[in-house]
Amino acid sequence: MTSSTKFHSPQSYLIIARCSPYGSQQARAALDIALTAAAFEQPISVVFMDAGVLQLLKDQQADAGEMKNIGKIITALKLYAVENIMVHQEAVDKYDLDPTEFVEAVEVVTSADIKSLIAGADQVMVF
Amino acid sequence: MKFSIVIHGAPWSSNASLSALRFAEAVLEGGHEIVRLFFYQDGASNGSSLCVPPQDEIDIPAQWQVLIKQHEIDAVVCAASALKRGILDEAEADRYEKSASNLLPGFAVSGLGQLIDAAGQSDRVVSFVL
Repeated sequence: MTSSTKFHSPQSYLIIARCSPYGSQQARAALDIALTAAAFEQPISVVFMDAGVLQLLKDQQADAGEMKNIGKIITALKLYAVENIMVHQEAVDKYDLDPTEFVEAVEVVTSADIKSLIAGADQVMVF
Repeated sequence: MKFSIVIHGAPWSSNASLSALRFAEAVLEGGHEIVRLFFYQDGASNGSSLCVPPQDEIDIPAQWQVLIKQHEIDAVVCAASALKRGILDEAEADRYEKSASNLLPGFAVSGLGQLIDAAGQSDRVVSFVL
């Protein structure tokens, strides 16, 4: 552990979550990074795309799969000051979801919005 | 340019690790700097000293070890990822009363904070996902 390192400056993170909540460890891995970056007080945006939109659903029965509840971790994001939580409109449409079914109020964004988010972020991590 | 490289894949499960290895070599050959290698999730398995691939196959963890040693690269294995996959350094093996440790020399076990720390010092963070 290097303790004397200095940050160039705060780095803005864009985390793109594209995987379903329990098919792999990807969802958890992405959220762990978001929470860690938040602990370092870095500005973070999280966008749920593709099957990643399923991570947002309320009432996930994670216990049935002997996994940790991804929806609850997403709820924790706001407690850790991760304010910019977004979902891709196309994914919402594709899975025929209603944003009122989500664990958190999230902003619905278009492909063009995501393009500019990627362009504007210092670090983009895709899971 | 300063790079940090995140390796998400186990050595032979996908091309992630080998691609990352070749990328790391190219970064250094190009005169750039590697701030840190961060082995995350299944990538932690690249730190195992116990892999024995067939002789006609590439030994990916051994090649990582050579690169890390030659260039004195800071190489971190995510602690949570490593522990649950049975990649332990001596201190962790002691702490959890396991019969052996198997982390390759040159690798260090540390937290996810080291990835954020590396990103803060890097111009680019390049991830090799599955």
